[in-house]
Amino acid sequence: MSTTKIESQKMELTFTLNGKPCVVEVEPEKPLLEVLRMEIGLMGTKGACLEGECGSCTVLLDGKAVNSCLVMAGQVQGREVTTIEGLAKDGTLDVVQEKFIETGAAQCGYCTPGLILAAKYFIDSMPDASEDDVISALEGNICRCTGYNKIVEAVRLAYREVHRPPED
Amino acid sequence: MSIVGKSITRIDAEEKVTGATRYGGDLYEKGMLHVKVLRAEHAFAEIVSIDTSAALALPGVCGVYTAKDVGGTNRHGLIRRDQPVLADTMVRYKGDPVAIVVAENDDVAREALRLIQVEYKPLKPIHTFEEALAPDAPKLHPEGNLMGGKRIRKGDAERALREECEIVVEDTIETQTVDHAFLDLESGCALYDGDMLTIWVSGQWVHEERRLVALALGLPVEKVRIIQPATGGAFGGREDLSIQCFVGLAALKHPGHKVYLRYSRAESMAARHKRHALRIHYTMGAKRDGRLVAAKVTVWSDEGAYASTGIAVMRKASSHCTGPYRVPHVWADVYGVHTNNNPTGAMRGFGAAQLAIAYEGMLDRLAQELGMDRVEIRRRNVLRHGEPITTNQIITEATAGECLDRALLQFAKGIDPSVGDDLAAAQRVWESRSYATRAPWLRRGYGVSVVCFGLGYGDAFPDAARARVRFNERNELEVYTGAVEVGQGLLTMVVQVAAEALGIEPERVRVFAADTHLTPEAGSSSATRQTYFTGSAVKLACDELRERLLDVAETYFGVHPFEIKISNGILTKVGDSGKRMEIDELLSEARRRGVSLETQALFKPRTIRERDEDGLSPRAFVTYLFGSHICQVLVDTETGEVRIERHIAAHDVGKAINPELVIGQIQGGVTQGIGMALMEEVIYGSDGRILNAGFTDYILPSVRDVPNIEAVIVEHEDPTGPFGAHGVGEPPLIGATPAVLGAIHDAIGVPIRRIPATPERVWRTIMQAKAEGKWQDVDPRWERDVKR
Repeated sequence: MSTTKIESQKMELTFTLNGKPCVVEVEPEKPLLEVLRMEIGLMGTKGACLEGECGSCTVLLDGKAVNSCLVMAGQVQGREVTTIEGLAKDGTLDVVQEKFIETGAAQCGYCTPGLILAAKYFIDSMPDASEDDVISALEGNICRCTGYNKIVEAVRLAYREVHRPPED
Repeated sequence: MSIVGKSITRIDAEEKVTGATRYGGDLYEKGMLHVKVLRAEHAFAEIVSIDTSAALALPGVCGVYTAKDVGGTNRHGLIRRDQPVLADTMVRYKGDPVAIVVAENDDVAREALRLIQVEYKPLKPIHTFEEALAPDAPKLHPEGNLMGGKRIRKGDAERALREECEIVVEDTIETQTVDHAFLDLESGCALYDGDMLTIWVSGQWVHEERRLVALALGLPVEKVRIIQPATGGAFGGREDLSIQCFVGLAALKHPGHKVYLRYSRAESMAARHKRHALRIHYTMGAKRDGRLVAAKVTVWSDEGAYASTGIAVMRKASSHCTGPYRVPHVWADVYGVHTNNNPTGAMRGFGAAQLAIAYEGMLDRLAQELGMDRVEIRRRNVLRHGEPITTNQIITEATAGECLDRALLQFAKGIDPSVGDDLAAAQRVWESRSYATRAPWLRRGYGVSVVCFGLGYGDAFPDAARARVRFNERNELEVYTGAVEVGQGLLTMVVQVAAEALGIEPERVRVFAADTHLTPEAGSSSATRQTYFTGSAVKLACDELRERLLDVAETYFGVHPFEIKISNGILTKVGDSGKRMEIDELLSEARRRGVSLETQALFKPRTIRERDEDGLSPRAFVTYLFGSHICQVLVDTETGEVRIERHIAAHDVGKAINPELVIGQIQGGVTQGIGMALMEEVIYGSDGRILNAGFTDYILPSVRDVPNIEAVIVEHEDPTGPFGAHGVGEPPLIGATPAVLGAIHDAIGVPIRRIPATPERVWRTIMQAKAEGKWQDVDPRWERDVKR
């Protein structure tokens, strides 16, 4: 029985993961999602559709939100990746995480890491956003449980806190 | 009450926002063996032979297993055990599993699947009711393709339609196949240590899954342990077994090795059961004043390849076929038909959702014929306290009308906040609702639904929950429940009920859930039943413990236990806050006196079987839930696109143990109902393959499709539930779909007969209305309101 399996050469992938240097031997065409989960063992990044439709696997690549199921490992060489595990700083939750808790925006929680990172990118990159921009920012992320209302509320609250800090 | 009724933060919120939560797929560790499943090549075929030798010869393959390797019955199923773990003689749908491969890594396992040689004798697949019931149709199962039926015979509907009704409307409504599309793909692991088979896979009822796995794989039930990992949604989609037997079988064959399996989205959709697609022929008759007299309903249900929970779904469809309305004469026949489509089983709404689309749609048709307002026709027919529902069960607290009023008040407040609680004023706002839009081809519509839902399994099916509670050495209250958290917030509900019942701080409560070896059976997280059932069991167990503690406190306070209050972990004498005792002190005292600080309770209310001949029962369900929705849409009649502008959902939940969690359930359920109304549909090819087995083509509601969902909590305390609570899970979906469809009907003047109402279907419906002369290019209501 002959098979036509294409043997892939592994590469040494060096990148910054959650602020720390990371070196891993992987096939360059392997999805970043799989590298993070199956090779490095960081399980906070979720895969749900595996074809770039649901945003569950969102991570920050050089600060920009990407679907890690569509990013090939080789593409992150020398770059910076932030996953949900790297968002809290010194045990202090990011404001987006805080607002997700406060508003009850997580039900089953499976879409939550991806949504939080999509929101983080939006808040960091759009200081002059309109209300509708919030919707656009979250449009690429599917949530099957909550109906989105509380998620939108959480992101709006976080946005206001970052860009218009409440006065004392 | 100090804890029940408060929106405390979910106990699992922090771990979920930090990514620390471990779902089934997250349990992977390097060194685990990988399991993959070979699926049927044909939707309907006899298996002639299976040759696994080439696959076995591939380096890295540890084993290839087929039906002959399964030690037990090789069958599972929640009602009839008719579904093979691995197909033996026949495959009946494209997702039927034929073999499993166990390998050192994922790539080798996938490669090995291709090397398994299966010889089939294909049969012509059956996809429609007509094909299934043709006299010469090949049979999927020995008993034939008609799986079963359910009926209601109340009064004499035939005669009433002929003689008593002054107006009759009749139509056929077709609902689609829907996928649960929970995000957390079926995944998990298993280990057989030579004595015990442990399976870490998410389901909805760990103890039943243990029984089914034990039977199918041929193990004593006590030698199977199921542990539920964190679960990313279920919605009925985890009620049937998924991968438990595959990882279980693989583990049994490779003792000492942990085995791991994770579906892709395509495999998840191809394998799993679906929501039943129904064809509903409905005849509804009324008096000229809108009073309902009779309903005659015939339902054909696509059961797919295996029974799953189909029989119970049919029963729910029949018992809910006239909803929360007073209909003296009801005739209903529901038939389940096997096809070579995916098996159909539980999904949020469970047959009641599809029938709500029908009875609400027919009421809208009736209102249109009578020129009556759609709120008014519902008011005239909605059950009042003490009247019988479809099955003749007397509804002592029929709050459907109250939910309608509350939805209407919310609707009106959104337009004129000064309405307040003035129902007459709200009615005036409703009657003057505006149809004005930017352009005449953009049409507005308003839909109304009123729905009911019988909670729990009902129909005399054993329905019970147990809970065990104990104070540990650190004076924390440990609660043990077999119930599963699937995302709805069950664990938080348990904490609140326990803390309230015992008068302790929620932080003192630790919940241990869903492990067959540690926790007592609680039934499934389905049928909107766990707040009512597990909430009750936890409360009963805590009540017993509280009585014991009060007996101990009696000597300290020198009063009757009746006069002692426990709140926030502190005991006081009622009306005298001077004398206090900390609960820690009381617990020490109780231990010194040898009082047991552990109790267990069983909550098992009884229902009465619906009679076979007429489907009637004085207590088909333990209790009923009611709700009412109002939906406002904008339809672009040029493109058929529907935008939801407002959606109001009022639900009587008895008592909201955690209002924010209840609102979350309502908003999420409405969103799934919107998905069912407008976009979600599993489409089969002629070969039985699902053509849209992925999120690129199976369209789910996104944040842009959903308005701010205005959830209204109605609290009519149910004395039979914990602190008056009953439940909320399913009714929000049930109410949403008909309200959306009703709004589209209102906007375009003609009903959508087949759902989902995709832009194409809406557009085609409009084209047909034009062809039939039922279309006016400018809606007179638009002209009227634009001028206003």
